[in-house]
Amino acid sequence: MPLNGPDLSESSRPRGKGRPRTAETAAPSLVELLNLVRTGAANTRQELERQSEFGRAVVADRLTMLGDMGLVDESELGTATGGRAPRLVRFAARRAAILVATLDQTAIGVGVADLSGKLLTEHHEAADLTAPPADLAERLTALFRWSMERHAPQGSIWGISLSVPGAVQGATEGDFLTATPPVLPAWEGFPLVETLTRDFGVPVWMRSSVETMTMGELHAGAGIGARSMLFLKVGRRIGAGIVCDGQLYRGAHGAAGLIGSLPVTAGGRSGPLDTLAGSDMIQREGLSAAQDGRSPMLADIQRRGGEITAIEVSQAAQIGDPASVAIVTESGHLIGQVVATLANALNPELIVLSGSIVQTNDILLAALREAVYGASHPFVTRDLRIIRSQMGSSAGLVGGARVASEQLFAPGFLKEWVMQGSPIAHPAFAALHDRLSHTAGPPPPPRARVGQELTT
Amino acid sequence: MTISGLGPHGERAAPPERVSLLPDDRTAAKAAGWRVAVVLHTLESDWAKQQLAGMMGIFGDCGAAVIDVVDCAFSPDMQVAELDRLIPQRPDAIISLPVANEQVAAAHRRVSEAGIKLVLLDNAPTGLLPGKDYTALVSSDNFGLGKIAAQGLSQHIPTGAQVGVLGFAADFFATNEREIAFTKWLQVNRPDVTPRVRRFARIEDAAASTDDLLSANPDLAGLFVVWDTPALAAANRLAERAATMPMATVDLGEAAAIALAKGDSFCCIAAQQPFQQGIAAAQTVILSLLGRPVPAWIALPGIGVTRDNVVESFQTVWRLPAPREVLRLLGLSRGN
Repeated sequence: MPLNGPDLSESSRPRGKGRPRTAETAAPSLVELLNLVRTGAANTRQELERQSEFGRAVVADRLTMLGDMGLVDESELGTATGGRAPRLVRFAARRAAILVATLDQTAIGVGVADLSGKLLTEHHEAADLTAPPADLAERLTALFRWSMERHAPQGSIWGISLSVPGAVQGATEGDFLTATPPVLPAWEGFPLVETLTRDFGVPVWMRSSVETMTMGELHAGAGIGARSMLFLKVGRRIGAGIVCDGQLYRGAHGAAGLIGSLPVTAGGRSGPLDTLAGSDMIQREGLSAAQDGRSPMLADIQRRGGEITAIEVSQAAQIGDPASVAIVTESGHLIGQVVATLANALNPELIVLSGSIVQTNDILLAALREAVYGASHPFVTRDLRIIRSQMGSSAGLVGGARVASEQLFAPGFLKEWVMQGSPIAHPAFAALHDRLSHTAGPPPPPRARVGQELTT
Repeated sequence: MTISGLGPHGERAAPPERVSLLPDDRTAAKAAGWRVAVVLHTLESDWAKQQLAGMMGIFGDCGAAVIDVVDCAFSPDMQVAELDRLIPQRPDAIISLPVANEQVAAAHRRVSEAGIKLVLLDNAPTGLLPGKDYTALVSSDNFGLGKIAAQGLSQHIPTGAQVGVLGFAADFFATNEREIAFTKWLQVNRPDVTPRVRRFARIEDAAASTDDLLSANPDLAGLFVVWDTPALAAANRLAERAATMPMATVDLGEAAAIALAKGDSFCCIAAQQPFQQGIAAAQTVILSLLGRPVPAWIALPGIGVTRDNVVESFQTVWRLPAPREVLRLLGLSRGN
């Protein structure tokens, strides 16, 4: 076990016959108090007593326990409001770290976040998701280890959160994964989740990149404070993240917002939105424009030995290449038609567009706005803002960190580990790790020491 | 030349041509009479001097007054204090090279919140977003620089050997990218080579880190250091220990160019283009002050330099003749 937090399952105090163990009685109050502190709902002992309705002695006892586990910090003084200044109770977000990664069609991103989900560092590099999954897993592991070496040398890791390009089957609320769900055909049969769980000794969560990016945008980007938001990721696939009442709406199976499958019609052809407006279409049409002489700019790129991808077409459109402008405009109009339907159904206050095609030009955003405004009820668009994300791929990392943070401290999950002071001691996870450790695999990485602050 | 890295938020690079100025832009800028401040990690290095030279020419052409040029001496605390000192002076824009990550993030955010355009060089602290907390980042393709260095050094490394990597301990986008790219290139193209990594916190510690690295790994067959000033310190220490080995680094400073021309340790230098980068940064400032959209990340490609092309590369990078010593070592200067 990589983390060996103080075992508080047995109280040192004598207990009478038939009285429940402290472990059985303290866990619910520890969970409630820790989450009040963690979410910022209460930050003094008085506030905790008031909000939790626990007595002073219980609050004092539980805070001592949480302090011993390194989960809260009471070293800071607050502002006095007559009398002595109260001692502030803070969540010790640097008690441990979360490793996050985004696996995109053409790039991989890794980061380290603290337990509040705040990103401490990040790195992105080009990658090919169609490469053998073992190579990808090896690169991911190498980057995780590099990140740990730099940013959590004496700390400990409590979870891994992955963003993947597709809906994740079996990722129900609150559960860490026990096996690799089918996400991409190329990964079939490769135990990515099992490998990471075994090698790093921590629970692994996985969400679609649209979900994590929506969470990231909502908590750290343009969506801060938004109650209703639509997030659109435009790439090879086109997906939407839906925020209702300030919460991500995941649907029954985490598959909400798969708008890329909706049928659309363009130029006499009908097909799914992904096919007629996604990056494959933009690349294909760009190549054709380079070859038939409609785009001298793209033809020039080819003549110099450059590759034409959707990015080159988007950049050419931004510079004013007429053929590229036409291709990107068509994509924007088609996506806009589908988004207009969603906007009329949901009446969001904000629509955020993301993805490298959107980042590299203004044309797609303009075309999408035109289509949405043209097809929406005036009430829907009266105060509607349609903007481009400023977060880029960081949104997926920030959102992934939020997923792990929320799952680690979800009351149902937290009560199973809080008495041991570490989620690695969660019984279901301990059983999984034990099982996976007995199956063949590479030797685990060196374990970090427990109870040390992260250094950044 | 292609850019092989991604930006700090996974952005695709925009070429420096995207921030070219038109005659109309210069005219409009002159009429506005802007005031600009520059905050660098150091003013001592050749890289910093060339960067400033590139900026000053553009600001001069555009009638923008540079009201302060600050040397932060690599100190996060000093940078925070200097930014807070500059904000009340209300410059229209600040070009800053953040010397650390989390420690300087809030101070940079305060610059933008005060309505001052902020263009970053080489590093974007985690959590700061383009368009919101800063206007744009201008940097070299640092990932590409790490690859160039690995490729150049690899030719001098025997099969199955160990290679030392001296990285920078500060959490800094540019040096992180170089280190990651160097080790990745080896992992993919020379899986037989094992990298051994040590990191120094200050330039003065580079020689001691070299000692540590060598004591722990006496069989090193080569060394990569993430920029030239500590690389020269490492080379001196290796020479003192009679342990000279093939070396690669980043930045074609004058002393590094001479060391490369000597050919006794340095075999490859991945050169940045600081003069061109300074031009791109100043043009980005002017365009953003004119209200024109600018890309989130503007990246300049690196140049692979060996003894064979050090003279022309020096001229390209520095817009100056190569040092006389380099010309003499290569037999191109036949005088004294």
